[in-house]
Amino acid sequence: MKNRIKTFSALLKLEFREHKGSFFKTPIIIGIVLVVMALLSYFTTDRFVLDVSGGDNLQLAIGSLQHIGDDKLNFALDVFMLITGSLYHFILFVVVFFFLLGSLYDDRKDGSILFYKSLPVSDTQTVLSKLITATVVAPACFVFGLMISHLMMFVVISLILLLNGLNPFSLLWLNVSFIENWGAFIIGCLVQSLWALPLYGWLMFASSVAKRRPFLLAVFAPLMAGFVWYWYNALVNLNLFKFGFFQTIGLLFAKATTPFSTGLGHKDFEKMDFDPTAQTSGEVIYSMLNGLMQIELLYGLLFAAVTVTLAVYIRRYRNTI
Amino acid sequence: MSALLKAHHLNKNYGQFQALKDINIEIERGKVVGLIGPNGAGKTTFLKAVLGLAPCDGDLSVLGIDPFKKRAELMKDICFIADVAVLPKWIQVRQLLDYTEQVHPNFNRRKAETFIAKTKVKPSHKVKQLSKGMVAQLHLAIVMSIDAQLLVLDEPTLGLDILFRKEFYDNLINDYFTHERTIIITTHQVEEIEHILTDVVFIKDGEIVLNSDMDSLTRDYFEVMVHQNDYDKAMALKPLTVKKVFNRYIMLFKAASRDQVEILGEVQRPSVSDLFVAIMKEDAS
Repeated sequence: MKNRIKTFSALLKLEFREHKGSFFKTPIIIGIVLVVMALLSYFTTDRFVLDVSGGDNLQLAIGSLQHIGDDKLNFALDVFMLITGSLYHFILFVVVFFFLLGSLYDDRKDGSILFYKSLPVSDTQTVLSKLITATVVAPACFVFGLMISHLMMFVVISLILLLNGLNPFSLLWLNVSFIENWGAFIIGCLVQSLWALPLYGWLMFASSVAKRRPFLLAVFAPLMAGFVWYWYNALVNLNLFKFGFFQTIGLLFAKATTPFSTGLGHKDFEKMDFDPTAQTSGEVIYSMLNGLMQIELLYGLLFAAVTVTLAVYIRRYRNTI
Repeated sequence: MSALLKAHHLNKNYGQFQALKDINIEIERGKVVGLIGPNGAGKTTFLKAVLGLAPCDGDLSVLGIDPFKKRAELMKDICFIADVAVLPKWIQVRQLLDYTEQVHPNFNRRKAETFIAKTKVKPSHKVKQLSKGMVAQLHLAIVMSIDAQLLVLDEPTLGLDILFRKEFYDNLINDYFTHERTIIITTHQVEEIEHILTDVVFIKDGEIVLNSDMDSLTRDYFEVMVHQNDYDKAMALKPLTVKKVFNRYIMLFKAASRDQVEILGEVQRPSVSDLFVAIMKEDAS
C-alpha cells in the first residue's frame, strides 16, 4: 500500500513536470496579459482624456473613488474576481482538453511507452494518474495561478492609486473578499471536474484508442454519430427514442466550461448564462453545490467510469500507434 | 537448476497470420541467449509476450508469473530495452533518475550516477539534447542499475555506430552480467554478440528451428577448408553450405564427429552468422 502511494505520487509528479508549462505558466501568463492590458488602458485613457478635456477627467474619476461607498467598491471587486475566475475556468478546460487528448497517445507515438512499461507500474495506475492530473493537479495549478494573477493586478492598481495620492489599503485591499471569491473559484474547479468527467473519460478513451490524430476521433466521431442519429430520426420519423444528442453534448460543454453556472439551469441553456453581477460569490458557491444534486451528474459519472475502464483495458494492449 | 522462463505451446495470431507457431522453450538462469531470426520471424512477438506487453495462447511463465496478467509485478525483477531511444524526450536526466528511483524498488541510483558519470551525459541534460548513442548509454546505465533477474534487449544498438555498439556489450558483460542473471538479446549484428552468448535460439516463420548451447553447437557443426582436389569427396558428405574462397572451398558440415570431416582439410569453428544462414537455407530446401 505504501509503495502504491509512493508510485502514484511519483506518477503525478512526472505528469506535472511534463506539463508544467501548460498547467502552471498558462494562468500566470494570462494574469500578466490582463495586467498589461489594464496598464495600457490606464495610460491610453490618460492620453485620450488629456486630448479631449485637458486631463481633468481622469483625476476627477479617480478622485471620485473616495466618495463611492465601500459596499459598491466591494461589489465591483467581487464582479471583477468572479469574471476572471470564470475566464480561468474556461481556459483550464481547454488546457485539460488537450492534455487528455495526448495523455495516452503521445507516448505511443514517440515510443516512450516502452520505457514506461518497463517499470513496475500498472496500466490502471498510469491511466488513473493522468485522470487525477486532469481533475486535481491542473486545477490546483490554476488556483495558484489565479491567486498570483489577482495579487499582481491589485498591486498594480495600488501603485496607480498611490501615484494619484490615494490610499490603496482603505480603497482596495480592505474591500477585497479574498476568501469568498477564491473559495468560489476553488469549489468551481472541483464542480467543474465532476461535471467534465464524462468528457474527460471520453477524451482518454479516444487518446488510448486512436491510431492517428486523437482529436479527429474525439470530436468528429460523436459529431458523425449525432448527424446519423438526426438523419435517422428525420427520415424514419420514428421518435421512440427521442434523445437530444447534441443538446446533451452542448449542455455538458456548458457545464464543463463555466462551473459557476452549473446550478442555474437544469436542461435549459438560456438560464445557464452566468452573470456575476446577479449573484455574490457566496450565492454562486451555494448554487454550484446545489447543482450537484442533479441526476444528470450521476449519469455523467457512470459514463466516465465506463470510458476510463475502457481506456485502461486498451492501454494494456496498445504499445504502438 | 529450475527454468526462469517456460513457454509451452505458445501461439499467437494476427488475424490470418500466425506469428508464433507452437513455441516450446525453457531458459535457465545464468544464460546469455541470442534470439536470432530474419525480419518478421516472430522474435519481437515472442519477446512482447515474455514482457507482458501482449497476450498469447498457451502456457507462458516468467519467474513463475504470467507476464500479461501481472506485468507490473513482473517488472520488479525484469528489465528491458525494447528499442533504441525510447526514453521520453522532454525529461531531464536527473528527473528520469528521480522517477525510476521512486517507482522501482530494485533501482540503485548511485550506481546509475556512476555509470552516467563515465559518459558525456550530464544530469541537467534533457533527453532530446542527447545523441542516439548517448540515449542508449543512458538507458543502459539505468537498466544496469536495476537489480533484475532477467534482462531483455531487443535490438538495443540498432543505428548506433560501431564504437558505441562495442562499448555497450562490453559494459553489459563486464559490469552487469553474473551467473545469477539471465540476458536475452535479439540483434541483426550477430557477429558482434556471438562471443558473449552461451546459447542461441534460431527462429523462423514463428517456429524455433534451433535451440542449442554454444558448446554443442561447436561440437555439431564444423567449417572445413577443402582443397580443389578433395572437392568431390567433400561434396559426397553433403555440406550445408559451400563458399568458394580463392582456390579453396569453405564447407559447413553438420557431422556426428570431428573425425569424419577432419580428413578433408583444416577444421574450424563456424561463426553463428554462417550457421544461421546455413540453417535458414536448409530449412527452406
